[in-house]
Amino acid sequence: MDEDQSAEETTFVVEEITTVIKEAVESTIGNSSYQHSKINQWMSSIVESSLSQLTKLGKPFKYIVTCIILQKNGAGLHTASSCFWDNSTDGSCTVRWENKTIYCIVSVFGLAI
Amino acid sequence: MIQGVAKSLPGSFLFIFQKLSFQVSFSPDEASNVVKECIEGIIGGVDYSQNKVNQWTASIVEHTLTQLVKQGKPFKYIVNCAVMQKSGAGLHTANSCYWDTTTDGSCTVRWENRTMYCVVSVFAVAIAL
Repeated sequence: MDEDQSAEETTFVVEEITTVIKEAVESTIGNSSYQHSKINQWMSSIVESSLSQLTKLGKPFKYIVTCIILQKNGAGLHTASSCFWDNSTDGSCTVRWENKTIYCIVSVFGLAI
Repeated sequence: MIQGVAKSLPGSFLFIFQKLSFQVSFSPDEASNVVKECIEGIIGGVDYSQNKVNQWTASIVEHTLTQLVKQGKPFKYIVNCAVMQKSGAGLHTANSCYWDTTTDGSCTVRWENRTMYCVVSVFAVAIAL
């Protein structure tokens, strides 16, 4: 997306969203190792805290937050997304995070109302 | 009154859809069928292959999106596809959405064969009419 930010703040700003997401992931699984029993809790927490931080930004957007957590085991994972929307106002951003035992991929899609 | 609205997509698709006087809601079952057909058509009988998987995920999302848009409904769509090799690793996915629950919706299709898992999610957001 372009860097110009209009005064009405109705465009999707990738840097801001990326920061919000990174904080949400770090605070939930920052120093943890992969643990099967805690995964559901982690995922709900990442997705919910991201969404509530995004809505707090107060912009006229609908949001979709997707989170994938994968154990580091040598398996191959490939993802793709395709979107049909209004290029001038809508956007997405994907944050890839990893530590020694976990890969975490969070995607945010913002659609202008 | 019906008006024609043209929107352009990256990849130079041009679709024309009409403004209707009533609001439709998303049908997860219809979308689910569209997705299943697309997956079967692309990776139906094949084994996981690292050099083809990028091509597969791209085809799955493009075909699914094209079929959905052909339905001509007043929605914006996001199609997400993940393909993973069956190797014993744990994979978890979650989605959370902030939208209008009366008109918007999503559907997720999980598919597998002997050597891979495929998870496709479709999100549909109504266009304000």
